[in-house]
Amino acid sequence: MLRDTLQTLLSCYGPSGSEHAVADKVRELLSGHVDSMKTDALGNLIVEKFSADENAKTIMIAAHMDHIGLVVTNIEKEGFLRVSAIGGIGPKLVSGRKLVFADGTPGVCAIEPNKKDPSAQPGLNDVFIDIGAESREEAEKLVSIGDVAVYAPDFTQLGRHKVASPAMDDRCACALLVELLMYADNQKHNIVGVFTTQEEVGLRGATVAAFTVQPDIGLALDVTGWGDTPETDLPAVKLGAGPAVKIMDRSMIATPSVREKLFEAADMAGVAVQREVLAYGGTDGGAIQLSRGGVPTGTLSIPCRYVHSANEVIDMRDMEGALKVLLQFVDLA
Amino acid sequence: MKTVDFLREITRLRGLSGDEGLVSAFVAQQFAPYCDEVTVDVMHNVIARKKGPGKKVMFAAHLDEIGLMVSKIEDDGSVRMGSVGGVDPRILPGQRVTVFGKEELLGIIGAKAPHLLSQEERGKNYMREDLHVDVGLPAQRVKELVQIGDQIQLEHRFTELQNNRIAVKTCDDRACVAMMFDALKRLQDIRHDADLYFVATAQEEVGSRGARTSAFALEPDYAVALDVCHAETPGAPQGTMKLSSLTASMGPYLHPVLRSKLMDVAKDNNISLQTAVVPRYTSTDADDIGSARDGIPTVLLELPLKYMHTTVELLDGKLLTEGGRLLAQFAAAVKEDWEDELWT
Amino acid sequence: MDLKALTEAFGPSGSENEVRKLLKEAASKLCDDITIDRCGNLVCRRQGSDHSKPSVTFAAHMDEIGFIVTGHTEDGLLRFRPIGGVDPRVVVSKWVLIGPEKIKGIIGAMAIHLQTKADRERVLGYDNLYIDIGAADSKEAEKLCPLGTYAVFDTEYTEFGDGFIAARGLDDRVGCKNLLEILKTSDYEGDLCCVFVTQEEVGLRGSTGAAFHLQPDIAIILEGTAANDLGDTPLRYQVCVPGEGVAISFMDHASIADKDLFNQMKDVAVARGIPHQIKRAITGGNDAGSFQTSGKGARTCVLSVPCRYIHSGNNVAKLSDIKAQADLALAFLNSL
Repeated sequence: MLRDTLQTLLSCYGPSGSEHAVADKVRELLSGHVDSMKTDALGNLIVEKFSADENAKTIMIAAHMDHIGLVVTNIEKEGFLRVSAIGGIGPKLVSGRKLVFADGTPGVCAIEPNKKDPSAQPGLNDVFIDIGAESREEAEKLVSIGDVAVYAPDFTQLGRHKVASPAMDDRCACALLVELLMYADNQKHNIVGVFTTQEEVGLRGATVAAFTVQPDIGLALDVTGWGDTPETDLPAVKLGAGPAVKIMDRSMIATPSVREKLFEAADMAGVAVQREVLAYGGTDGGAIQLSRGGVPTGTLSIPCRYVHSANEVIDMRDMEGALKVLLQFVDLA
Repeated sequence: MKTVDFLREITRLRGLSGDEGLVSAFVAQQFAPYCDEVTVDVMHNVIARKKGPGKKVMFAAHLDEIGLMVSKIEDDGSVRMGSVGGVDPRILPGQRVTVFGKEELLGIIGAKAPHLLSQEERGKNYMREDLHVDVGLPAQRVKELVQIGDQIQLEHRFTELQNNRIAVKTCDDRACVAMMFDALKRLQDIRHDADLYFVATAQEEVGSRGARTSAFALEPDYAVALDVCHAETPGAPQGTMKLSSLTASMGPYLHPVLRSKLMDVAKDNNISLQTAVVPRYTSTDADDIGSARDGIPTVLLELPLKYMHTTVELLDGKLLTEGGRLLAQFAAAVKEDWEDELWT
Repeated sequence: MDLKALTEAFGPSGSENEVRKLLKEAASKLCDDITIDRCGNLVCRRQGSDHSKPSVTFAAHMDEIGFIVTGHTEDGLLRFRPIGGVDPRVVVSKWVLIGPEKIKGIIGAMAIHLQTKADRERVLGYDNLYIDIGAADSKEAEKLCPLGTYAVFDTEYTEFGDGFIAARGLDDRVGCKNLLEILKTSDYEGDLCCVFVTQEEVGLRGSTGAAFHLQPDIAIILEGTAANDLGDTPLRYQVCVPGEGVAISFMDHASIADKDLFNQMKDVAVARGIPHQIKRAITGGNDAGSFQTSGKGARTCVLSVPCRYIHSGNNVAKLSDIKAQADLALAFLNSL
């Protein structure tokens, strides 16, 4: 079940650069369902499921395992941890949140007051993590410089269809890719599912994976922004109105032929989709498209509210729709 | 076709970054009679090869253009715009555009009238987000004809001014594509050893994406990137160039030995070149070509342009043919033994 | 090769000829397979006998920050721009060497007596700074230092204090010195490559090409990194401390260290008693970024010598840290 897979993957620890717990879980879920699984130098998990068709093309489908976090850079003598960002994480988002390290050590995040200018916007340099240690020595027993904290895992049902979790970006896409690899059966094309690393710090995993895979067609699965909450109107994308086919973002202008194939697949699957023009952000698609001599590439997006916050909200109907579109997409002529 | 007519026609065609199919087809068709093979790749790069037994040389000028894209359709039928590449929002209010929906629709870019603005608002330029395209149709009709992602093109008006100067949209960088066209025509009568690839690249305006993939695919020994640079205008900062002569830039991203070869060819052929110094990235295709694969020694030749990224980009028409002559002569001058001098 | 000759060699990004020549001469005594690649990188390879061991590349960059001439004034002064990140606040009242001929120049500024209060507060940007070579007019200046001529700070290598050195270009001539040390000392049985790369300071250009054709399993970058330890710097802004050993990075703006390599480096350093510290910031970015993401990718880790005032004409580092960098690199190779 998509929902169970999603919940399983959401519980894994996996900031950029330390994604192996997610990869291990994916390996476990896909064991017996695919033709091969391998891990490369950057920790990308590359999963192949071949087609019997001799005219089959190779479609690389990427979903990133990593998510944002805070890396410990200094430990104050009172035992508080100073941090830097891994990916797009800011003081407003983390303040007051519960965080967790790889070994389960919990902490809470706080911002020091600015005594000189109380109205000043805080920066990440003003943020610290309180792990309850009373001295540097005590803290160092629990945490080392270079360790990374992420939002503590959580899963909340909101209303009938929506769910919230801190790791929705991009575990919801990992869940889709796992399900696609499980359920694709005698599909027309070879699927190379790549669970990528280090997307949040610059599409690094996808860059090398695409080079290795050399696909004929690329597809990234990721979350996108939302335009359906008060005073937010762009992108013109709503939760619950179906997955979104990306037209462009900062990293990629989707190859028109792939974009049209996605619309065609959605049409055949009877799934409503939205059109997405995003003025910011990027996905692994940007890296795949520019690999080697160029790869026709698109992105299928799950609309997601409050991206990079501790409560990223998606609509399960969009997930179900996306899976149907994907199953159709890998089977299109 | 005369080179200036090539420029007139190519600047007319719509080809926002990422959707250059129409322009690519035009370039492929026009280049074909003058070369051995022409292909259009998955990124819409046009690759025209004129064969030779010697070193592989890539010439690159981009064919894409900046512009606008439908990002939202409001309930009243007004169309909101996203930007593809760096469109200066100051040029937009009152501009005529074409919206490429299911039909081609003439649109006017509208803004709130000045007398409805607060004192503070009047002191500021409009942002793209404050503006909309008015296609003069009822909302329902707009929703039938226009979709998110449809292209919006700025007005094309080819204007010939005094002293052979030309003003039109998208001289950046189709004037350089025209220079390559001119060079190809000349190369019919000039012997060359080098294996020549004239590449009209896609997606430069969003980050030299076409140049990056085509340089990877072609794996040339040397490359010449062609782009426009800023010509002097009143109040411009230092570093802008004279309008009426081509510019050969120098700096760490550009190969010094290859550049001196280009300077020699220009001198031998009585073509004047200015020098621009670029301390870091050039923000042209040269950057991505130079770092493709294990590195490609690259030079950058630039055509000075006034009013870049507007609908009235102005150039000196004589440089189109002078540039063509320089490229052709450079192509003919490439020698095998340049290789020994690269790192001395 | 002594560090004095290395740091005094002229090599701003894009003009590394003199450094490359010097290094090539030194390396040719230590290695048989030396080539210069398409980016001007100096590539020294040693084929291994044991192919069960990973192929390892060590990289250090030859280039340094500097300046480039962008114009000439009518009265013979040179307009210029920085190559790489040189804070304009550190260049006033300094000496420079211009071009391969090393013409002497100085960077002056209006005397304090003549400044208004506003002048005194305003940072002089590169639009308001000039190099004076003593030329009589623009013609003479142009003849001696044409457009595009490179320049560097004129700094003499000096040892001082408690084992410290002050010099120009420690970032990254310390790494270059240690690559030679590796070539000299290591008997690693796997494939080994030491590559001296170009153009790190202007965006990791040289290493991008090197990484693409070398495609090692493991790439270790030997760098100099900003220390930022003295004065009233709060702990959270400090990066590393000269004298406390080689700094191992977990992450910077260009790469995240391979977790296993990072841990292995720490373990080897502890086991062998090599002074080391963890770099406590994610500032900067270096050639590890290009090695990690080029081609099929490589596992990377960065070892840095802490340097104070890294993007000025006087870098300060401690000799014991430079030794620790070489020691850890060699001990790591032995541990493979």
